[in-house]
Parts: sequence; C-alpha cells; structure tokens
Amino acid sequence: MNKKIRQLAFGMMALYVLLFAAMNYWQVGRASELNARTDNYRAIRREFDRPRGEIITADGVVVAQSVATPQGSQFPYQRQYPTGSLFGGVTGYYSFGYGASQVERTENDVLTGQTAQQYVGNIQDVFTDGDGTGTVRLTLRNDLQEVARDALAGRDGSVVMLDMDGRVLAMYSNPNFDPNAIVDPDFDAAGNALSALNEDETEPLLNHAYQLRYMPGSTFKVITAGIALEAGVMALDMPPFDRVSEWTPPQTSNPIQNYEGSNCGGDLREVFRRSCNIPFAQTALAVGVPGMIAGTQAWGMEQPIPLDLPRPTASTFGSADDLDQQLPLVAIRGFGQQEVQMVPLHMAMIAQTVANGGEMMRPYVVDATLDSRDRPLTVTEPSVWLRPISPQTAATLNELMQGVVTDGTASCCLGISGIPIAAKTGTAQLNNDGQPQESHAWIIAFAPADNPQYAVAVMLEGTNEAISASTGGRLGGPIAQRMFETVFG
Amino acid sequence: MATASPLARARRSTELSLVVMAGMITAGAYTLASLGQYTQIPARIIPFLLTLLGMLIVAHLGVRWFARGSDPTLLPVVALLHGLGYVMITRLEPERLAGLQTTWSIIAIVVFAFTLAVVQRAPDLARYRWTFLALGVALLVMPLVPGLGSSFGGARIWVSLGPINFQPGEFAKIALAIFFASYLADNRQLISGATWRVGPLRLPEPRYLLPVLGAWAFAVLVMVAEKDLGSSLLFFTLFVVMLWVSTERAAYLVIGVVLFGAAAFVSWRLFAHVQLRVDIWLDPWADPNDDGYQLVQALYGVSDGGLMGTGLGRGSPDIVPVAESDFIFTSIGEELGLFGGAAILMSYLLMVGAGLRIALRTENAFEKLLAVGLTTIMGMQAFIIVGGVIKLVPLTGITLPFVSYGGSSPVSNYVLLALLVRLSDSTARRLHEVPDDATMAERWAARRLRRSRHSQRSPATQAAGFRDPSFHGAGASSLASVTGVDGSRAAAR
Repeated sequence: MNKKIRQLAFGMMALYVLLFAAMNYWQVGRASELNARTDNYRAIRREFDRPRGEIITADGVVVAQSVATPQGSQFPYQRQYPTGSLFGGVTGYYSFGYGASQVERTENDVLTGQTAQQYVGNIQDVFTDGDGTGTVRLTLRNDLQEVARDALAGRDGSVVMLDMDGRVLAMYSNPNFDPNAIVDPDFDAAGNALSALNEDETEPLLNHAYQLRYMPGSTFKVITAGIALEAGVMALDMPPFDRVSEWTPPQTSNPIQNYEGSNCGGDLREVFRRSCNIPFAQTALAVGVPGMIAGTQAWGMEQPIPLDLPRPTASTFGSADDLDQQLPLVAIRGFGQQEVQMVPLHMAMIAQTVANGGEMMRPYVVDATLDSRDRPLTVTEPSVWLRPISPQTAATLNELMQGVVTDGTASCCLGISGIPIAAKTGTAQLNNDGQPQESHAWIIAFAPADNPQYAVAVMLEGTNEAISASTGGRLGGPIAQRMFETVFG
Repeated sequence: MATASPLARARRSTELSLVVMAGMITAGAYTLASLGQYTQIPARIIPFLLTLLGMLIVAHLGVRWFARGSDPTLLPVVALLHGLGYVMITRLEPERLAGLQTTWSIIAIVVFAFTLAVVQRAPDLARYRWTFLALGVALLVMPLVPGLGSSFGGARIWVSLGPINFQPGEFAKIALAIFFASYLADNRQLISGATWRVGPLRLPEPRYLLPVLGAWAFAVLVMVAEKDLGSSLLFFTLFVVMLWVSTERAAYLVIGVVLFGAAAFVSWRLFAHVQLRVDIWLDPWADPNDDGYQLVQALYGVSDGGLMGTGLGRGSPDIVPVAESDFIFTSIGEELGLFGGAAILMSYLLMVGAGLRIALRTENAFEKLLAVGLTTIMGMQAFIIVGGVIKLVPLTGITLPFVSYGGSSPVSNYVLLALLVRLSDSTARRLHEVPDDATMAERWAARRLRRSRHSQRSPATQAAGFRDPSFHGAGASSLASVTGVDGSRAAAR
C-alpha cells in the first residue's frame, strides 16, 4: 500500500500547490485591479474604523472631531463639525465614499496618526490611554471667524485677516456649506447633500476667499502705485495730476472716467485717498506693458497662492496677448477694472505686504500639528514668499493708505481712536455703461499703521442691489472696523 | 511505564519547545491584533496567557504521558493553527465568541488528552468496527430527528441539546473512517480480488463490497438530505481514497471520479442550492451585493491584504459574513497576507506529511489505513474550504480544521489529532524506537489477573488481550492478534 500512500502524498501536495497558486492569483496577480473596484470599500473603511484627531482653532475651539457612535452602528466613529458652516471652507469634510477636502484631506496622515513620527511616538500610547491620533491646530481664531460671519450678515463675500507672519486669523466666505451634511451616516442623505452642493451655481463647496477671484476695482491701485513707485514713475513729490473728469487714452476715442464721472486730480496723496481713476490709468501706461506685467507678477499674480490648502487659485492681470496694441485696456486695468481679477486672500496679502515693509509672507492655516499627547509634531515657520517692493515704497504706500482712512474714501466708516489704520477701498464696476449698476465692494486695510500687526481684506460680491449701489468704503469699512475692534479688543 | 528512552525524551522535548514557540506566536499575535485594532495591550492578556499556557501544558502532558514516542511535530502545528484561529476569532467577535471559543478550546484539549488516555492501543479501535459504524450512522441521522436537529444557513447539520449546538457529522466522519479502515484492512484482498464476473467486467464479490458501499451510500444520502455538500464531498473522497489505497487498484480511483462527476451533475440538475453554488463559483460578480456578496467580499479582503497583509486588527474581515467560521482563511489572508495564508497552508501540508509518514512507517494494515483516512479527512477538509473561499472550487460550507470557530469542530478535530498521535506512538513502539511498555489499563488488568490467580489458584490460560509487564515488547502485537489484523501472532504465553 505504501506506493499508493506516496502517490496520495503527491496528490495532496499538488492540491495545496493549486491553493497556493490561487492565493497568488488573488493576492498578487489581481490585487490592484480588485482594490480599485468601486464596491471594494476596504481601504476607505480602514480609515473609518479608526479614531481621527481633532481640528482646533488657535483659540482652542474644536471645529472637527470624531465621536464614538452607539453600539451597533456601521462605524465606530462619526465625524462632527461643531461649528457647522463657520469653518467648513477651511476644515472641509471627511466623508465615507465621497473623499475628503481641505485640512481634512491635507492633514489626513496626522489626524489618523499615520506619520512616521507618530508611529514612533505612539508606541508610548500603548502604555497610556492615548488613541494614537493627531491634532491639527489652525491659525484661525473662532472669535474672529464669528465676527466675520456676523459682519457679512449673510451677504455673499469674503473676509480674510492675516497677521504679519502670514497666519490666516480669519477666512470666512458666503456662500459656504455645512460639512456635517456630507458626513451624515445615512449615505443617501450625504450623497444627495453633496450633489446638491456640487450643482449649486454659487459654488458653495469652494472657499470663495481663496479659490475664486474677483475684479478688484480701486484696491488694485495699491499694486499699480507700488509698481510705479518701484519703477520711479511715481513719487510723493511728483507734480500733481490734472483735475479732469475724463481722459482719452491712446489707440481709442472712448474716454476713461473717474468714479461716477467726478472731477478728480491733485498730488499723489490726494488722487490716492480720493481714488481717482485717471491718474492710475495714466500711470499704468507710463510704467508700460512689460513693466505692468512684470510688476503684477512680482506681486504674486498669475501664480497660485501658496496657501496650505488644496487647489488655491491665482490672481490675474488678464490676457497679456497683443497688449501693446490695446493700451486703453492696460490703462483701465491700472485701476483694477476690465480683466484684472484678484483672490480675496491675495488682497489681504497685499495689505500685509505694505504693512510688513514690502515682504509678502506665505499664508498658512495650519499653525501646528500635535500628537495624541499634544506634543508638537510640526510647527509651521513663517516664511517670505515675495518681496515686490522695497521698504521705502512700502512706507510710502503705508502713508498713502493712511490718508484713505483719515480723509479719503474710507473715512466715513473706519477708525479706531488711538490706533492709526491704513486702507484702500475699491468698488469694482462689473456692468457696462447703460446697464444696471452691478459692483463688488472691497476694502483692504491694516493696523496699527505705525506698527502693523494685522491686515484684512473684505470683499462683498455684487450679487444684490444693495451691494451694487454702494461703495467699498461704506460696505467694507464697517466690517473691517469690527474685525479690528475684535482683534484689538 | 518510566522505562528510560532517550529517543522518546528527545521527541517530547522537541515537541515542548515547538509548542512553546507556537504559544509565543499566538500570544504575540493576540497582542498585535489588539494593538492594531484598539492601539492598546489587550485588557485580558494575563488570563489569556495563563489559559494558553494551561492548555498547552495539558496537551503536552497528555502526549508525554500517554504517547511519548509519537511524532513531535503534530501537536505544535495544531497549536499554531488553533492559536492563530483563536486570535482571529477574538479579533472578529470579541464579545460574542471569544469566551465560547475559549470554552470549546479547553474542552477540545481535555478531550484530546482524554482520548489519548482511553485509546492506548490503536488496534483496540478495530475491534469495535461495527460499533463505530452504528455510531457513525446514528450521529449522521441525528440532525434529521425532529426536535433534535436544527438548520443554520440552509444546512440541517446541527443538533441542539439545550444551549449546546454541535455538528454530529464532525464526529461521524471519524467513526466511519475507523470502520472503513478496520473493514478494509481485513477484506482488502477479497475486494481487490475481483472474482465476480459481470459480462466483460470483473468485480469483487458483492458481499465483500456491500458493507463499505452501504455505509458510504448511506452517508452521502443523509448528507444530501441535510444539504451538507462539503461533508458529502469529504466523505466521498475519504471513501474513494481508502478503497484505492487498500486495494491498490487505480480502477477505484477512476470509478470514484466518474461516480463523483455523475453525482455532482445529477445534484446540479436537481437541486437549486447546488446550482446557486456553482453559479456563484463561476461568476460571483454576477450578483455582487446578494448571492455573490460573501465570496466577492472575501476576495476583496485577500486582495486588500496582498503580500504582507493589512496587519492584525487593521483589516476589515468582518465585512464578510461568517468570517470567523467558514471564511476564516480569507480573514487571515487579509490581515496576514499571502505570507500568513501560505503559513497556514504549509501547516496543513506538514500535518498531511506527518500523517502519511505514520501510514508509511507502520506495518499494521489497520493502522496504515486509519492514518490514511484521518490524514485525508484533515487535508481534504482544509483543501475544500480554502479552495472554496478563494474561488478555486465551488464553495461548500465546512470548517477549517483547528482554525475555524464552530463548537464541536475543534473537539472532533482534536479527537482526530489524538488518534493520529496514538497511531504515531504505536508505530514507534512497533519499530522498537521506544520501549513498548504496558499501558496503565494493561497493568491494572495484569494485577487483577494475578490476584485472581492467587485467590482462585486456577491456571490462567486465556489471558490473551492482557499482558504481564515483565514480557517486554509483545504487548501491542498480542492485542493486535485479537483483531486478526496483524499477521504476526505473538505466542507470548
């Protein structure tokens, strides 16, 4: 019988070799294909089975957290955003099946405790009661964010506040979304909420403060002036501009007008604080097309803003093709109209650059990442992104912008006793002549002007008549005012 | 009993160190699974380690006392499989099944030692062949008895006695293997003789073939009635393999395969549940959310595990329904990867190798065939279920020996292991590798015999079956002679 037993042994071995081959087929051969199938949700679920750390504000308010679900739930943890839509544009969402966005996406490894540093550090957690997750501490402050929301009072627009290191202290915009709707444990409800948000033409899923750009109007004159001052085309002691109500640039017969056709001119201080259009149109042409293109790029336009959030957009001076043949457009762009479009965050950075002696800091929203025992893993170091202007130019612009607040377009609505403020307003006309008035209202400002600490940009989209009928100073000024009052509290 | 034997001692200390290693792997895996799942040292690590240690010691002492010449690899391999299975079950169902599996494991280990203590002479089993046949038949029909049997997952293979559910079929296969081995050992020449002419065919005398065919047909019929396809396949294979090995006629293998093919085809035509199994096997993605869900998710699990696995406690094997029982292999494949799965397969191959080595070494036909039968049960059961969950063969629900959860399954598998260990020890004694000391029962019998001899002063001439310990080395064969299996009759007295 021994011969048969040996044959049986070989037969058995052959069967097990088959098993081993089949295992290889599934676990190696077809693994990547199977793992990519949509109904294979293991990789996502692996994330969801684990606790996930908190996102907290600089003033210690929890804006994203995972809470344990009752026994028998599909997942042991449920993501929650206690502040709702207030921080939705910054934290983003972390959903099952619909991915993640914003900080939830960029700091995923920290939140789940998967960075190499945490792997090592978490060994200690085994002996304590740590859960191995990390915490993300934002630069944003809950109080400032709330003030921004309240001051906007539901109107479409953005409020951004920076400090001199580039920390984003507030970044709120309308329309926005409540991430709690997308992490609804009811998948269908979550899916419906997300597709409704996706189809919404007002783009609530985008953070309007840094992912969209708008015509800046007269706030752009800070940049034009900065370029001109650097180029020597403009100076405080230059001869005054003519007081005119309209001026016809070369290559056209259509004249350029000041705001509402007013008669406007004088020295640089006056034309800046009264926001005359014609002097800046002339200045843009005096700088020249190559100078304006290079200058705006030096200010960071045409480049995505280096913010530590996904998909930032770039400000733009507009199409540069054949601009030599279209000098009237260059002139109009000189005061922030036509194709010029600025990101609200970028405008705050421009105020911050002037305040900061000409150094444009990289903006950031993640101040630090902490391990499960609140020891820092990373602390974001402030860094200079661009140096578009010299300290002297910055000082000049600072002085010009203070004039706007003391007796210029913002004097109506901005001022705190004892704290000098510098600002520039803007009212970007979107409609052509003869159409109903439609305009964005802007203000950028920083304070204290003699020892700058905070810069702010406020922008209200011209999506309703009340905004379109008013000016940047009147609408934006009070909002900037409230932000400064809060921060200087 | 305590005759010095360096070889026995060496085997037992090898076994002890291997068992300790298996225990250490189990303890490490248990800790890692908890770390992976909850990022903490398991709360019940101390009682776990003590229980594990206790079980390993009981199992090892069982072998050391009752089968000290046996192969030292069998128990450690089982300890490893059982340990990994236990870790997986507690990781999957920490509240519902961890305690139950612990209880069943303890029972299984005790039954293992008990079996070794009771069955001290393997040929004794052959003497009770008809008893085992009756027992096997009774166990098989038990689930069909109204009020006693119950169905889970479409198969009526469970018996509920109060709070205890068990599958009597698990034990029936051992009983029937003993019957087959015993019957075939006695009658194999007659069966292979093929003296009965039917037309051009030469068949064995029907009367010799009848008991085996009857037992087998009955078993298969009952299991078809119980819709237990996996066990039917297992029995069929067991029967064919034992018939083939004992008669040494390849025709039985061919006939077996043909018969199996016909039976499979007929049942596929007749039974909807068989068709469903085949359809799922051919294309589980045809209905990935309902009928094919289990298999599709199991395959996703192993593919997600890949080469190295997700790590214990870090995968999602619980997505697969009954991951702790029939599908435990894919759970292991997911969390321990191809390497972990291959380790499990290698463990079974080691056991198959050890079992067939026993069969090769012994000269006793019954022991040879029993070793073949038990090894075939174990190796084929693992193949059928592993092949089923990785879509190599159609899935039929049976447990993965020693690894799966399932009350009676570990108990019956440990009985099987105890018998293999017993056969191995018996072979070692036969080959004089270890001294063939008298068993405790034999010494008690001898003492009783001496006493009655002294008190009645009558000559004891009918002492066959009992032996005097002073007669060295003849015990096994004297017992075997009763069965008529072993040709070498010992004329000790």
